[in-house]
Amino acid sequence: MQNWINALSWLNLRFLLMGLWVTIYISVISVILSFIIGSILGIIRYSKIKWISKIVGFIIDIIRNVPLLLIIFFTYFGLPNFGLRPETIPAAIIAMTVFESSMIAEIVRSGIQSVSEGQMEGARSTGMSFVQALWHVVLPQAYKNMIPTIISQFVSLIKDTSLATIIVVPEMMQHAQVIYGQNANYILPMFAALAVLYFIVCFTLSVIGNAIGRHLS
Amino acid sequence: MKKKFWLISLMACIFLVSGCGKSTNNQSVLKDVQQANTITWGVKGDVKLFGLIDVHDGQQKGFDVDMAKHITKHILGPKGRAEFVTTTSQSRIPLLKNRNVDAVIATMTITPERKKVISFSKSYFDAGQSLLVPKNSKIKSTKDLSGKTVIGVVGANSVQNIKKVAPKAKIIELQDYAQAMNALKSKQGDALTTDNGILFGLAVQNPGYEVRGGTFTVEPYGVAVDKGQTAFAEAVDKAVLEMQHNGEYNRLIKKWFGDVPGFKYKELYRQ
Repeated sequence: MQNWINALSWLNLRFLLMGLWVTIYISVISVILSFIIGSILGIIRYSKIKWISKIVGFIIDIIRNVPLLLIIFFTYFGLPNFGLRPETIPAAIIAMTVFESSMIAEIVRSGIQSVSEGQMEGARSTGMSFVQALWHVVLPQAYKNMIPTIISQFVSLIKDTSLATIIVVPEMMQHAQVIYGQNANYILPMFAALAVLYFIVCFTLSVIGNAIGRHLS
Repeated sequence: MKKKFWLISLMACIFLVSGCGKSTNNQSVLKDVQQANTITWGVKGDVKLFGLIDVHDGQQKGFDVDMAKHITKHILGPKGRAEFVTTTSQSRIPLLKNRNVDAVIATMTITPERKKVISFSKSYFDAGQSLLVPKNSKIKSTKDLSGKTVIGVVGANSVQNIKKVAPKAKIIELQDYAQAMNALKSKQGDALTTDNGILFGLAVQNPGYEVRGGTFTVEPYGVAVDKGQTAFAEAVDKAVLEMQHNGEYNRLIKKWFGDVPGFKYKELYRQ
């Protein structure tokens, strides 16, 4: 019991919350970037532009089928060979963005495909161009359907930031390791605290996502 | 058509990968750090007594860290700056090769295998591997380990050593010492093995456990630099020697290991 009290002292918790801040920082930037990049890639893949769509599809397939852990390793240890030497936090953001963009791209593509083709044809018959029809008619419907899937993808993004401990990003998981490095008996209290904090963040996001979904429908 | 596409993409990938073969440059790290007046050190962030981040201010603290600060002053002069990057047992060598850090001082044993890829200074600390067991355990020394499960830490040298002295022991490797300690407490293994300094640190926090069997290896810790950076390694050697002569070294030993019960820190003193 004393271990729990000592482990969850204000100093330790403050250090853990500093880590949580880094976790949220990495997550928010990666979410924004991967939402934009993923949407563009997904639309390109849907549009069937001769070569480009195929190449994009090929790259997405590669990234989706590689563990995120390897992508994190590659950005931190591999990129310096190409003359780019990111610090740990940017490396984590790059890795998360690359991985999540390809996940989002697939969600966007299938989201667009789930909108019935009649919508596109109808819009085109009124004289809209392909891009106009996509932008004004198809995409709004597609995104509405996609919200729950995208939100759950972002929830797993937040949880996946814990993988970045492997390159010693000072996020919540790594800070927990430092705290129980002081005393091995702090390990269980720290895991419990981690579970609670991750739950609060992820559950909040899900609730917000559901609210948006309800609001739109 | 489709086949051709795959072939081309495959070739593009091969080109990309082969293009990254240009590895380490031959620039002198010693000259670089003198120019920048800063040495960037890779240290541990979660190992008590050697390199542990202080939750008060986020700074790494420990024997390795203090050694690095002193060595920096000896090499660069009193105005030289030491910067610290937290590394793990797995990441410290790649970081050194990529020049994210200039040198690594992170409880790293000098071994022939490691010498193939990096260079070391002379030993700056002589640790020895030992065993941590519950007080009621029948294990007295490494001889009693056959058929037992021994817990070690991934990427550390100690696991290789235990395979040599107790080939019949089962081994589990965990991510860090705290996890290893908890595995021992939850009886997933019969003994925990690593360098004695770290084990004594763990025993302090866990009264039901003790270090046994003396040390069965010598683990000379060295400062690691990139392969071929001998000038830098020699500068480190000279700095450590100066610290031994003027008593700084012994003061640091006493500062970090003087309060560890059961640890004969005076044996580590150097003149």
